[in-house]
Amino acid sequence: MPPFILHHPVSIAEATQIASELIESGEDFDWVAGGTDVLPNYKWRINPKPHVISLAKIPEANHVTQYEIGCMTKLSSLTEENGVHPLIAEAASKIASSLIRKSATVGGNLCLDTRCFWYNQSEDWRRSIDWCHKADCGTGADCRVIPNQNTLCVATYQGDLAPNFMALGATVTLIGPQGDRTIPLTEFYQLDGMKKNVLQPGEFMLKVTLPQDAYEYDGSYQKLRLRESWDFPEAGITAVWKKGDYSSLKIASTALESIPKIHGEQVDEFVEKWEKGSTIPLLSEAIRRSVKPVNNTALPPNYRRSVVRVLAKRALKNIGCE
Amino acid sequence: MSAGYRQQPGSSSSKRTDGKRVAGKQVFPPPGSGGSHPTMKERDLDFIPESVGGKEPQPAGSHIHDRIRTGTVVGKSLSLVDSNAKVTGQAWYGDDVRLPNEVIGKILRSPHHYAKIKSIDTSRVEALPGVIAVATGQDATNRFGVLPVTKDEHAMAVEKVRHMGDLVACVCAESEAIAIEALALFDIEWEQLEPVFNRKMGLEDVDEPIHWRGKYHLSRTNVQKRVFQEFGDRSLVTNPHASSHGKWSMEGVHHGFTEPHAVVAHWDPNGRLQLYTPQQVPHYTHRALSTVLNVPMHQINVIRTFVGGGFGGKSDPFPHEMCAAILARKAGRPVRITFDREEVYWINRGRHPSDIEVKMTADDIGRISGFDIDALIDGGGFASFGHVTSYYNGVLATAPYELGSFHYTGARVWTNKPASGAMRGHGAVNTRCAVEVGLDEMAEQMAVDPIDLRLANLLPPHSRTITGFRITSNGMREALEEVRKGSKWDEKFRQMPLGKGIGVGCGFFISGSGLPIHWDPNRFPHATVHIQVDMDGGVTVHTGAADIGQGSTTAVAQVVAEVLALPIEMIHVRSHESDTSPVDLGSYSSRVTFMNANAAIRAALEIREQILKAAWDILGYHPNTLVLNDRRIYYKHDPAVGVSYLKALHKAQEDKGSLIASGAYRSPPMGGVHKGAAAGLAPAYSFSAYVAEVDVDVELGLVKCTNVWAAHDCGKALNPLAVKGQIIGSCHMGLGQVLSEKMVYGRTGHLQNPNLLEYKIPSVHEMPHVVPIIIESCDPEGPFGAKEAGEGPLLPILPAVVNAVYDAVGIRFRDLPLTPDTVYKGIERKRRSLKLDDCLDLPSPRLEHGPMQEILVERAKEHRTRDKARQRTEDTSHYVNGVLFGFDPNIPLEDQVDGWRMATEPDPEQLAELGLAGKAWLKKTQREMGRD
Repeated sequence: MPPFILHHPVSIAEATQIASELIESGEDFDWVAGGTDVLPNYKWRINPKPHVISLAKIPEANHVTQYEIGCMTKLSSLTEENGVHPLIAEAASKIASSLIRKSATVGGNLCLDTRCFWYNQSEDWRRSIDWCHKADCGTGADCRVIPNQNTLCVATYQGDLAPNFMALGATVTLIGPQGDRTIPLTEFYQLDGMKKNVLQPGEFMLKVTLPQDAYEYDGSYQKLRLRESWDFPEAGITAVWKKGDYSSLKIASTALESIPKIHGEQVDEFVEKWEKGSTIPLLSEAIRRSVKPVNNTALPPNYRRSVVRVLAKRALKNIGCE
Repeated sequence: MSAGYRQQPGSSSSKRTDGKRVAGKQVFPPPGSGGSHPTMKERDLDFIPESVGGKEPQPAGSHIHDRIRTGTVVGKSLSLVDSNAKVTGQAWYGDDVRLPNEVIGKILRSPHHYAKIKSIDTSRVEALPGVIAVATGQDATNRFGVLPVTKDEHAMAVEKVRHMGDLVACVCAESEAIAIEALALFDIEWEQLEPVFNRKMGLEDVDEPIHWRGKYHLSRTNVQKRVFQEFGDRSLVTNPHASSHGKWSMEGVHHGFTEPHAVVAHWDPNGRLQLYTPQQVPHYTHRALSTVLNVPMHQINVIRTFVGGGFGGKSDPFPHEMCAAILARKAGRPVRITFDREEVYWINRGRHPSDIEVKMTADDIGRISGFDIDALIDGGGFASFGHVTSYYNGVLATAPYELGSFHYTGARVWTNKPASGAMRGHGAVNTRCAVEVGLDEMAEQMAVDPIDLRLANLLPPHSRTITGFRITSNGMREALEEVRKGSKWDEKFRQMPLGKGIGVGCGFFISGSGLPIHWDPNRFPHATVHIQVDMDGGVTVHTGAADIGQGSTTAVAQVVAEVLALPIEMIHVRSHESDTSPVDLGSYSSRVTFMNANAAIRAALEIREQILKAAWDILGYHPNTLVLNDRRIYYKHDPAVGVSYLKALHKAQEDKGSLIASGAYRSPPMGGVHKGAAAGLAPAYSFSAYVAEVDVDVELGLVKCTNVWAAHDCGKALNPLAVKGQIIGSCHMGLGQVLSEKMVYGRTGHLQNPNLLEYKIPSVHEMPHVVPIIIESCDPEGPFGAKEAGEGPLLPILPAVVNAVYDAVGIRFRDLPLTPDTVYKGIERKRRSLKLDDCLDLPSPRLEHGPMQEILVERAKEHRTRDKARQRTEDTSHYVNGVLFGFDPNIPLEDQVDGWRMATEPDPEQLAELGLAGKAWLKKTQREMGRD
């Protein structure tokens, strides 16, 4: 692994200060929480940085209550026994493997780098395809998934927590040199596999906050994957509602595009005129039509897109929609 | 006191109460008895066969080794003798070897699929501070390869690279970081060539074939090997009562062993090479090193480290082993090279991606009149074991069935991909799957139960297959009966709801390769084992058998312990160094237990004889009347009259010092004389039958295997625990191939998933509940009756799952693996063809027995009686494939049947109708074309 200098700030202020100093001196850096995403990438020399700032020792980042989850919270501690929302607990239990969940964190999962089989490869491998748009090493290389376009990166976001926090209406608190801000998670992600999210240079995610009515929601997360351990989602659909109240229904998806999405438009279209028995297939089909996966994960995109219908149907039936 | 593992001496509190010893702390009584128990244990009659007065049942008859059974360890479930080293983390694998003053080697790999190296300039590399030595292909131009007939590899590319990741040069430096930095400083001028990725294209003529075989080269194609075999009466195939025709496409799979390749090379002060490597076959590496380095074999010591899984993937001599030796010679310091996981995929040697076509027919009384197999296999950039694989894809698919005729065309082509090679179940797995699914399809056409179809067409024990393999013990029938019973087959098959399915598959595999490929078996044995017993009474066994986790060291220790009636902790197996171990072919083709244990028994018998003779001197009773039991020898009729093992041993050592014995194994003459007759020959064959149950998520296409009943005939389970471990492990590996594993080559020819996240080995969640069932058919030539159990058990799981998926959703899939997208596509196609709205309304296949069922059941019943008599050698008449079709086994078939073929080349009139791989026969060799 390429060597880097690891910084260990013990307070938010110190973290921001280190970041500001590095920015001023023109040094590149990454934030690291559990490191289960960043460090494997470093090993493959995917965008390694000379400096890494760890959030591990910042008390606020480790703080957990029913409604506030610090970014350093380990995925393995997101359990119902710990008072975590059942939907979040369910989604967390499906992430990677039990070993990885003991290191991986909430913040890391939400800020997960987008993935693509032309990108998540060793340096030698990527060199032999003359690089790709996402990590072009200064060559201006084309996208390998959809050639002849080098304006957009279509790497896939494969985090499991995001659609669930989104559906529950969570907000995230971002800390940066310019000050703090709290935004809805749905506005956190930004289309383009390289940009990924709205984090500005020097800014990091401190915590996720659930709204006061979050525990009134029942939810179900359907994750498509080949193996019941290790694998990132190939498609993921979440549905939540306040039991019996169709107007509260929300559906979100992940692993189908470069960002997780909340499907407000499709839900709104059907919620008004919900008919028991016939709406679920129509809504599921509408969700399927609204996503456009590309060929850069383990399973082919047409399959992933097709089964969105099944996943949506199952999520809706699981929470009691009829 | 700190927790964790502690070396001896330990405190008394570490004494266990369960009678087992504590690692690192052996409580031996004072000298005199040996072993950890102070007094002699009683003979364990439960593990002494009936034939010699014990209580161990022998339904399959007695065995020549019965009289040397002592009830000590054979047949008992023991933990492997090297397990303490492994579970305490003290086993030393390739990368654990640390020699003083070592430097780290790294390999420069080709970024191109196929290219000529016009020049390599290493001056910038050499100038980098910290770099100790650099080597390129020009440093070692001698060719090597695992098979003497296909030596086509170099330590590093000499003239051209043949796949991405092929070795170009290597460098060693003071640290790994410097070595990696150095890799970027090679200046290489390439001339790119047109690569071939598609195996079908490998059959075509090209400007620049990947290898050139001179006058033997087939036109200008990339065909490395073509095979034609035709046996039997082809006229039986006409007007079949039932038939199956399937075209299969199977992806390449990798062994996925835990330990990546690693090697340490060191030239000692006397100028001898000491090479540490996790090898399955150290002897081939030994030979190849000698060739490549131009050093006589006696100046090389190959040290096999612990092997962190091999499965065939560590049985070739490897170029990186040569690189380490070349670098170490230049550097004058030890060189260590450890692979990254990605590099493991570049060296590959996994199962061949294959296109397989199988046609089979049955006649009006349910006899299998023809197997017609065509296999085009993708060899990647090098030959490896491919010459043999080309044969195995055909010849190992015939048994356990009696066939009217057999027709096989096979071709292996080079492509610009990492080389395929031998992997657990070598060459037999893919066609076995195709054939077993074909039988299932024929059974459906005939409206019979597929298990009964099989039971009515099995070859009996002590017979010959259609291609002339000599079958000895055969537990196939029992295996099928056991899984039928265990799985409650008759209550489930074709009776379960949509999405639930059950399927059957059989397997047949070699137990040791009949021919040692480097020498004449009549002049040098397959395996040799040396035993030395010194004054302390401990027994040191020297063998070259390479323990790759399968337990070969334990098997050898067990048989020696059994013959000498000593506790197994008194047997010390030394198998790591070529300096001390007699020449052995290593661990491949499931030969070790059969051949090495046989050799070990012979050596142990010699020691036993010397000790008994000494006891005779002391006691005055003839050895025939003496009983050898746990560290004591006594008079049969009065156990009080006896002598301790050590006393007898010291008597035996009086004039000569330590006792030394050597035992060897060579296979009996067997098999036919036709071209390729040696491929697939084995002194014994294993048989297996599995029933698998699956749950198919019909909407998502996800297949989950829930239960497996796995019966394997291993002759005699020397260590039932180890056999069960092999069966369960085989299930796991086979399930990977049938459900999720594949080496994915993208549109640019790059391997898209050279890592363990994207190469989908099943996790513990995907593992079904496996019920291992051991069948003991008591092989007459196996050690105590044993045959292989390491590879054969993999074969049946693939077809059993594919057949179960058919039972669940009524679709015959012929593309492996059955990833959910493949299954989904099949289900959708069927849904549309039936004009259904919901795939959950698909009909499940059902079975109503037709008139043929009764015929088969009757015949199976008769054959059951026949097989029993033959198994117990109550019936010793000849039996060859063809008797079922009414032929006389005592007259050569070609003399009694008009048109009985035994051909290894196609007739000119056949050329037009050959299958895909068979098209290789349309090409002429350079010699035939009159060129050189």
